[in-house]
Amino acid sequence: MAKSKLLTLSMCVAFLFSAAACSSLEISNVDYSQPVESVLTVENNEVHDKRYAIKFNISPVLDEEGISSVDEIRLIRSNRGYYFLTASGFNHVYVLEVTSGGLDEKNIIRIPGDALQQPAFNQRDGFIELVDLATGDTHNLDHNGRR
Amino acid sequence: MKKLMKTTISTLAVLLFVAGTTVTAQQSDYQVVQDFRADYNELVERVDNAVSSEELSEINADIDALEADNSGHSSLIDGYIYPNSFEGKISDLRSRYAAAENNVQVIESLNEKVAELEDEMAELRDRLSALDEDSQALANRLERAAQNERRLSNLVRQYRENLENRDAFVSDLLEDLLKRYQTMDAQTQEEIAAAAEALEDNPLDLLRTILAEYINLAERETGLDSEDYLRMRAQHGYFSEVWDNVGERMASTYAAEEPVQAKQEIDDHLDAWLASVDNKLWNALSTSFNQSGVQLPSFTSATAFNNALNTYVDEMTEVSLGQNSEEDYEMFSNFSEFWNSTVKAEWGEFLVAGNVLSQGDIAAIDVKVGSWGQAAEPVSNLMFILFLVSLAVIIGLIVLLVTKKE
Repeated sequence: MAKSKLLTLSMCVAFLFSAAACSSLEISNVDYSQPVESVLTVENNEVHDKRYAIKFNISPVLDEEGISSVDEIRLIRSNRGYYFLTASGFNHVYVLEVTSGGLDEKNIIRIPGDALQQPAFNQRDGFIELVDLATGDTHNLDHNGRR
Repeated sequence: MKKLMKTTISTLAVLLFVAGTTVTAQQSDYQVVQDFRADYNELVERVDNAVSSEELSEINADIDALEADNSGHSSLIDGYIYPNSFEGKISDLRSRYAAAENNVQVIESLNEKVAELEDEMAELRDRLSALDEDSQALANRLERAAQNERRLSNLVRQYRENLENRDAFVSDLLEDLLKRYQTMDAQTQEEIAAAAEALEDNPLDLLRTILAEYINLAERETGLDSEDYLRMRAQHGYFSEVWDNVGERMASTYAAEEPVQAKQEIDDHLDAWLASVDNKLWNALSTSFNQSGVQLPSFTSATAFNNALNTYVDEMTEVSLGQNSEEDYEMFSNFSEFWNSTVKAEWGEFLVAGNVLSQGDIAAIDVKVGSWGQAAEPVSNLMFILFLVSLAVIIGLIVLLVTKKE
């Protein structure tokens, strides 16, 4: 009986140690915000942001937007880590989420009115500001849409 | 009505404020940073290339403006240009500005020095040209007046005065060069050398021009005599002495890339000038002595001239010792008069300064002339006559006594 209790106690201790060893490291409250947007030149539908070390193909975005090509895109990362992407001639802002080896659509925000002429992103406290410098229109955005 | 106007103005003010706020809100942070970077880069380029105080003063105001215009965006700029910072960039600009200010001070000081040297050169050249033009004009008039002896004599006098003025001017210039370069410290030399690179006409060029004209003057046929050529040789002696003292330093200063060649060039000019003077001097001296009845052996150098004088005096002394004739004494008197009143009194200074005869050479000849004088002085016959008279009287008395006894 005593032997069985000792065995049970040992098993419990071993389980506790194993559980502690298996729990994953987690860092919370990460601020991913990029202070200033990146203006990236498009070459063969590819963009490369050397400053923030990200390179990807924008063909899916162009297909979605129904545009064959653009000269440059505007890209900014919010504090939550979502990428906001748009370009001159776009009607939308694409909110992209980082996945393993890819960027997934988190949201596509329709900007009311005509297509954007001179869009620019500004990092603001808790949201991304989209300005059309040509028209003066301003929209405050987050990954859920216009605020 | 007044109230309505007040309201309108207030509304307009509010609208303007709102419009202003909207404009501020419509800015692109990216553009703000890019504009800052572009302005910064432009200012860096302007600071680095600034060459005047006026430019720098404008740049300083623009740096202040850049700082004032962007200080509100400093955290944005800090984030974008990390690991640099807005403060760091402005501080870098100010450091560059301070360095540029020092450089500009050096440049402006050099420019001043260049302007000063250029003015100096221009003034010297003008004076030299005026003297040379006068000299050329007089030489031309001398050629034309060859037939008219009185006029020729006046022109030669004027020409001689012109040459003396030129010599005085060049001597002043040489004295100035001596003062300036003999005790020049290395830093001043470096500063002048740096300034000299920008000079179109530097003192070495001026010296070359002076020497070329001296050669030209010496070669010109203008009825000059021994004293004029001796004066030229004396001037050459002074020029050479000054050049020996300052030549190397001047060449290093004004021809920093090829100092040896530059110095050699002036040395060659000096040699050519001396050869031109000598070409006329020995003939002129020989003629002067001949015209005074002194037939010197031929000579074509300073040493040969000294030897000729010594040989002549030695030979004439020997002759005087042997003959002791009135004619010998006359020749001695003639030489002594020419030697003392012309050679020593009028030419003495030039002979020594021109390295034709040294003070020692002249003193040695003086001693020999003294010996010649003693040898040439006719011996008096009075004692011999008195002896003969006394002898005759004694013989007479003896004859008288003998006659009386008989």
